Amino acid sequence: MKLTKMCWPLLSGLLGLALVPALSAAEPIKAEQFAQIQALIKPDPAEGKWTQIPWQTSLWDARKLAAAAGKPILLWEMDGHPLGCT
Amino acid sequence: MANRDYVPVTGDDWYERRRQDPEGEFFRKVADQGPRHGRGGSTRQGIYCLTADGKLLIYKNAGQNPEVMRETLKRGLVEWQKLPIERRRPGAVEVDEPGRVDERFQRQLPEGGLVINVYTRILDRLQDGGMCRGKCKAEGGEFAARDHLWLTAAEWQALIPASPKVGDQSSAPPRVAQRIVRFHLVDNTRGEPPFWKPHEDRSHELTLKVEEVTPQRIVLRLQGSALLSTDDDPAKSSRGFDVRLLGYIGYDRAKRALDRFDLVAVGDHWGNGPHTRLARPGRSPLGVAFELARGDSAAERVPPQAARDIRAYLGTNR
Repeated sequence: MKLTKMCWPLLSGLLGLALVPALSAAEPIKAEQFAQIQALIKPDPAEGKWTQIPWQTSLWDARKLAAAAGKPILLWEMDGHPLGCT
Repeated sequence: MANRDYVPVTGDDWYERRRQDPEGEFFRKVADQGPRHGRGGSTRQGIYCLTADGKLLIYKNAGQNPEVMRETLKRGLVEWQKLPIERRRPGAVEVDEPGRVDERFQRQLPEGGLVINVYTRILDRLQDGGMCRGKCKAEGGEFAARDHLWLTAAEWQALIPASPKVGDQSSAPPRVAQRIVRFHLVDNTRGEPPFWKPHEDRSHELTLKVEEVTPQRIVLRLQGSALLSTDDDPAKSSRGFDVRLLGYIGYDRAKRALDRFDLVAVGDHWGNGPHTRLARPGRSPLGVAFELARGDSAAERVPPQAARDIRAYLGTNR
């Protein structure tokens, strides 16, 4: 699964703005390119909005919290952990 | 809504549907009330709204659609409100300790180990040979995918030379290099990726070079390349990655701790996996960035995707 799709509506015009100088697969990565490439690959803040939700990672702990608070549980269960697979 | 009206929890269905313990039994009891019964051990993934005592309120496989997710949460609340108030009030349900835990499906970062965040993104080549973020036809395939690299205490400590001198060079510890190459230089931008089998790691070279030594810090450069290919002949292979790497590792001598693990890998990737269809045609640029996890968030405690086979991941099965 691809969790970042959840925040599509939050993205606008952020993609494709950063450019990195010439680089081919056969060439070593140059030190002066490093920071730009890293920034190009890493997610923008808008791509991680879903991480601001205080997710529990234990269903049993969530049960305890829900019982104490009088709330239902939202379980997001995927093949590939939603918080850290793909 | 997820935050205000619910207790939100996430899980990897691969573990939850297999574990033979009270938590696994609870999950299956809830899932069996919905359409996904996991026949033959198949997936039960989706969005579940449920009560603490295990009544399924609503289920939907929302996939990638935030609107579907939002609507599901709303409908779940409607079902919740239909329950008698005695069942909804705080403390109405008692939840005991879970008791035994099926250790076969528990993954814990080894004590003293490090978590490195890993991000993967498709890239595009510009006409002048430069690169920008990539475009593709697969829904969501343009966004950064996430995973985590685990290093044990012994592994990250082995990265730091005992008597470093600027210019000293050595090969990266084999276990670390193999883990990075086989389990993290993968295309997970469209779903669960296949990992590289040992023989598909056709060649790799990762070198550590001492760049800076002061009484406070040691900085190492990590540089190299890898050729990953499903066929012995990359030209004939259905999937592959021809990739170059560069990175920097910082060590705080007073704290005896890594304070930097920045690594990028860029190269040409090609081919689909069983759960990563719709790859772009031919060879196209793919980038992977590694960065030391700074916090202790729930996301950072999630095990690496490849840790389902923990012995293979940690290289302890030989």
